[in-house]
Amino acid sequence: MKYHFGSSSAKGGHDGDRWVALVGNPNCGKTAIFNLLTGLNQKVSNYPGITVEKKEGLARTDHGDFRLLDLPGTYSLSPESFDEEIVSEQIDQWARGMAPPSVIISVVDATNLGRNLYLTSQLQDLNIPIVIALNMMDRLEENYHIDYEKLAKEMGVAAVVPLSAKLNEGLPQLKSEVIHAFIDNHDIADSPPWMDSEMVSKYASTTHDGYASSRFGLAQSMRDQNKSGMNNGDHEAVLRYRWIDDILSRVTRREVETPLAPSRSEKWDKVLTHQWGGPIIFVSILYFIFQSIFTWATVPMDWIQLGMDNFSTFVVDKMSDGMLRDILVEGIIGGVGAIVIFLPQILILSFFLTLLEDTGYMARVAFMLDKGMTKMGLHGKSVLPLMSGYACAIPGIMSTRNIDSWKERLVTILILPLMSCSARLPVYTLLIGAFIPSITVGGYFNLQGLTLVLMYFLGTAVALILAKVFSRWIGEKSSSSFIIELPPYRVPIPKSVLRHVFIRGKLFLVNAGKVIMAISIVLWFLASFPKVDSPNSEINPIHHSYAGKIGHAMEPVIRPLGFDWKIGIGLLTSFAAREVMVSTMATIYNVEDAGEETVNLKEAMRADVHPETGAPTYTPLVALALMVFYVFAAQCMATFAIVRQETNSWKWPMFMVVYMTALAYFGAMAVYQGGKLLGYS
Amino acid sequence: MTLTDLSLGETGIIQKIEADTALSNRLRELGLLDGMAVRMVKMAPFKGPVEIKVRHSYLSIRWNDAQSILLKS
Ligand SMILES: Nc1nc2c(ncn2[C@@H]2O[C@H](COP(=O)(O)OP(=O)(O)O)[C@@H](O)[C@H]2O)c(=O)[nH]1
Repeated sequence: MKYHFGSSSAKGGHDGDRWVALVGNPNCGKTAIFNLLTGLNQKVSNYPGITVEKKEGLARTDHGDFRLLDLPGTYSLSPESFDEEIVSEQIDQWARGMAPPSVIISVVDATNLGRNLYLTSQLQDLNIPIVIALNMMDRLEENYHIDYEKLAKEMGVAAVVPLSAKLNEGLPQLKSEVIHAFIDNHDIADSPPWMDSEMVSKYASTTHDGYASSRFGLAQSMRDQNKSGMNNGDHEAVLRYRWIDDILSRVTRREVETPLAPSRSEKWDKVLTHQWGGPIIFVSILYFIFQSIFTWATVPMDWIQLGMDNFSTFVVDKMSDGMLRDILVEGIIGGVGAIVIFLPQILILSFFLTLLEDTGYMARVAFMLDKGMTKMGLHGKSVLPLMSGYACAIPGIMSTRNIDSWKERLVTILILPLMSCSARLPVYTLLIGAFIPSITVGGYFNLQGLTLVLMYFLGTAVALILAKVFSRWIGEKSSSSFIIELPPYRVPIPKSVLRHVFIRGKLFLVNAGKVIMAISIVLWFLASFPKVDSPNSEINPIHHSYAGKIGHAMEPVIRPLGFDWKIGIGLLTSFAAREVMVSTMATIYNVEDAGEETVNLKEAMRADVHPETGAPTYTPLVALALMVFYVFAAQCMATFAIVRQETNSWKWPMFMVVYMTALAYFGAMAVYQGGKLLGYS
Repeated sequence: MTLTDLSLGETGIIQKIEADTALSNRLRELGLLDGMAVRMVKMAPFKGPVEIKVRHSYLSIRWNDAQSILLKS
């Protein structure tokens, strides 16, 4: 039987149009190529039912456009982790003829051909035309030569296109080969070339029905038997590698054969992952990142503040008195503005995280910390999710998918929201800026920066201790392994990094735009009504507003923590998203002030005094207690919705809300009451 | 002798892998086949994972798992 693909676009894909899948090993440069092919024409969505990012984009060429789907990176079709399961399930569906792509681009790291072509050869069984994108050509050793045409012919793929995503070379050729592959009639043998006839008849008998491609069925049948452990001596990996290595010996030439020679990265690693030096360097890097968030961001933050001030003055000048103007200035500009100002810090944080990941350093951190993490009931691969948690818990929780043991993945998810995310940064920044003096301590450290680091440290330390506790408590022995590749150190592609940072910033702003604007408006109403007709000068009307009433009702509960009714309202609105705290306070003060301009929140909070005693409402101690509350509190509903999806039960998110709320309440109480005992106020 | 018996920088040839099915399948898929040469690159302290070089790439494997990779003596 021969397969012809000239017409496969008819059955292929969404809406009957032609589309292309991008498949490859982790770290082969798939994302970089996807970005180059699609430019800004991409959208990120979820696979139905599961929270796995599905990236789709449109590639434009002179000979028509095609749609491109990016799959998560994987080494093979025998999944170990949830991440890889997604890919293998998707490919299994294609093998059954369910919406297969018209062409597959198999991204291959040219510096590690054998291992990368393993997946390519598995994809070939699908009988879908394959174009190999031979990436990282700029990193190829000079003495290494590859005969691309011969490689394509011997493997039996439509084309091999050498390229470099970094230098943006070879992309036009890749596109035109894909277009070619759409219309080319491609003949593919109906059994894998590495199976002899004896094997073919043996595995044909155990092949499952329903595979559109008999070749895939045969390979899958052997895979299933390998998986169950009864391999009768035939092993897919052994046979495939033999076939690949044989081809490579004919199409590649190396003047000096040195597969095990130390690479340049290895020399770097002598220092960067040194037994004792490595961890010290890691901690220094973290410290540097957090200090820079505070120092570098102040300049753009001042600009934004200035811009917002001017904007609201402008609106006040141009619009006539009335409720609409009040909503706009006090509610929306005050509320949203208080959040937008934190954009620079969020951009800086995600910039550094992306940098650590893209250079290949994060894999080293996982290697260095695996032993320690295992001791805490976690996994070397928990490090990246936990660090992403510093930016946002949601991508962090989603990136636990590559942890290959369910128990360790669950423990990682349970503690992840304790990593202070960037939504808490506005709260910390506001309180630190307003109440912690900017003085130098210990001759070297800025007290404000130090306080910030302390908050991150507190969350992280408690998270690790709880990981141990939860892991004991869940019991169940773990069966994980830790087999990861340590990719070579690479200079990241600036465009890729910037795109990532841009997407993070956009998500933050969209959130600020939607949730925060809505809450700011609702809050403005609650804080402004009912209006008191003749406001007597002593008592501000906001006390009698709905918001004031709710806040005052909460006061008895939060008084032991040193919080007043305004903070109470902030805590309530924070359930939507933590950073709303800041906009809430801003809206309350704006309404309270009722002046022409938006108030400076920092100064307003500092100047706030108790109406009767005249003592300051907020002291450094209250600020500290409030920060500790935010370190622990379960406030972001989106996080728990994701946990619900990833753990497939309400049990775990509910558990998290309970334990985090308890931690927050008693932690803040301990700080406030303890501080008072020590004589602070 | 097993993989963990190699000292830093030393090279050995894989004789066979004696691990449970899932682990040995995964190791094979990453190219650790009988007869392949491996070099010990790094050992994390306290019997943490080891880093080896095989087939032009660097892999990290936990100590216990590495002990199931037998080398020709
Ligand atoms: N030198 C070089 N680096 C590349 C190339 N393509 C990607 N990279 C880098 O390799 C790393 C992994 O790339 P990425 O696209 O994130 O890989 P993915 O994991 O397959 O999506 C990043 O640091 C990229 O900047 C290339 O052609 N040449």
